[in-house]
Amino acid sequence: MINIITALPCEARALIDHYRLQGNRRHNAFRCYQNDELQLIISGVGKIAAAIATTFLAASAPQRCSAWLNLGIAGHPHKPVGEPLFAHKIIDAATAQSFYPGIILSPPCPTAPLTTVDTPEQHYRENTMVDMEASGFYAAASRFQSCELIHSLKIISDNQAHSTDHITEKTVTAFIADNLNTIDAIITALQPLAVQLENTKQPPAELYAFMERWRFTAYQQNELRLLLRRWHALALDIPPDPRDFTDYKNGKAILIAIKDHLDAQPIRFEQASH
Amino acid sequence: MHQVIYIEEVIADHPRTLSICARFPKATIVYCKHYGEIFNRKGQNFRLQKQKPALILANKYKNLVLDAPDGYGIGGQRNYYFSHMLNCPYDCRYCFLQGMYRSANYIIFVNYEDFQQSIIDTANQHPNEALWFFSGYDCDSLAYEPVTEFTKAFLPTFRQLPNAHLELRTKSVQIRTLLKSEPIDNCVVAYSFTPEVISQALEHGVPSVEKRIEAMVKLQQHGWKLGLRFDPMVYQEGFEQLYQQLFEQLFSRLSTDSIHSVSLGTLRTPKAFHQNMANLYPEEKLFAGRFEENRGMITYQKELEEQMTRFCYDQLMQYIPQSLFFACTPAEKP
Repeated sequence: MINIITALPCEARALIDHYRLQGNRRHNAFRCYQNDELQLIISGVGKIAAAIATTFLAASAPQRCSAWLNLGIAGHPHKPVGEPLFAHKIIDAATAQSFYPGIILSPPCPTAPLTTVDTPEQHYRENTMVDMEASGFYAAASRFQSCELIHSLKIISDNQAHSTDHITEKTVTAFIADNLNTIDAIITALQPLAVQLENTKQPPAELYAFMERWRFTAYQQNELRLLLRRWHALALDIPPDPRDFTDYKNGKAILIAIKDHLDAQPIRFEQASH
Repeated sequence: MHQVIYIEEVIADHPRTLSICARFPKATIVYCKHYGEIFNRKGQNFRLQKQKPALILANKYKNLVLDAPDGYGIGGQRNYYFSHMLNCPYDCRYCFLQGMYRSANYIIFVNYEDFQQSIIDTANQHPNEALWFFSGYDCDSLAYEPVTEFTKAFLPTFRQLPNAHLELRTKSVQIRTLLKSEPIDNCVVAYSFTPEVISQALEHGVPSVEKRIEAMVKLQQHGWKLGLRFDPMVYQEGFEQLYQQLFEQLFSRLSTDSIHSVSLGTLRTPKAFHQNMANLYPEEKLFAGRFEENRGMITYQKELEEQMTRFCYDQLMQYIPQSLFFACTPAEKP
């Protein structure tokens, strides 16, 4: 699941249309939209609103294979209006705290620093995009996901030659719509990374079948998880199956039996496939 | 090729920073105050980062030379290590670095001169003792030589310190600098090996056993002292035959005259690191072996460990005199 946070409805509009996102009426704290692969939340303006919306989305549903993308408009002293820029550093102007998104994907557009300010500013800051949400978004999202899966993409809406006076809801929607290819490329790159990370965290599929059949303490459940993981890593011909252990009366006996079985298996390395 | 290079502001204009950056003209440069902001932060994934590691250029202020861990030595009275670099271009599944560090990004500490001064000071504190300095503890000593120019910078330091010995520990065939340099008596180029089939399965990106032997032969011909490190020994069914073949392969090409030392070590990892590593690669067969916890370390079961050590030791004794052998085993504590 890719979670997208925008500040304004006009930033979300083109995404809702392009990805055919449906409004989610379960939530009334924020306007949320989703399809099978994407969730979008409209946070409102400001870093606190962005942090709350991010947290709300993370807490409202179990996050599997999740990546996070903050999308919106930003100012820049000299970058052309309409240009997409991928943030490689996010600075919170009020606290001077910096965040560094882990750039594993190949950004489909140029990158730049992004400074988040608390109130709109009259003058442009040197060599940085300026927005009002990214630091709040990043601080919150990094509580839930690894930094390689949290990013901000901004479309330049104003610069020293084109002031904010020219920005309308219509132009903002157009900025996003004009950059859907870039947004798509980022989402496409994030999805497999999120799946890859999730796969390493998934408990073995048989864990719950064993737990339904026998009682395990919390400590034993962890032992069982590690043993089943070991079973899979050994790539044995026969997968673990609770029906093969029906002679055992309790969780402790099961754990001993599985361990003995695994200890008896030969270890043989084969050439790596990658 | 690095996509992103993070640079500490304080060394932004350091000549080594500039020359390293010049090698990656397309990289995005991102400035930071301290490398720890990127390298040590929570919420990052070593496995994902290993796919496209960033480079971090930083300055090291203290602890430039450290005492080597217990059991990490080849006969010296005092053993130290120093790390101009953290992390490694190779991806060996048993490497403890992936359990120790949160980040797979590479750090290069560009202030080599401070490391060199610290080495000189340490050597001068013990003028009548043989000191060993290990450079391949937190990284591979040679693998990133074209970028770091580490040996080019550090060999002259050791050339002028007769009581200080340098071990370059590596799996790399980046030996151009060594072949261009006059060998020095107090430097050993030590190659790590596991049998080919294990290397191919677990040492991703590492040159083949044959390629490494070729590099060793060239170094031998050039007059460099060589080391052989079988540390860790990795178990698989029929390990006896695999290690026997490996030893035959090595000693049929290398002259014992050029071999300074041979060491053996069993697979041993601090428990917390082992857990981190197994969580990063849950599908990895290496972590599905028969392990036990022994004084906070995860090791093969004692019987298996002894069996492997005994076998490999006996085999090695057919090729080398006892005086060249060193066991990488921490002393038993009461």
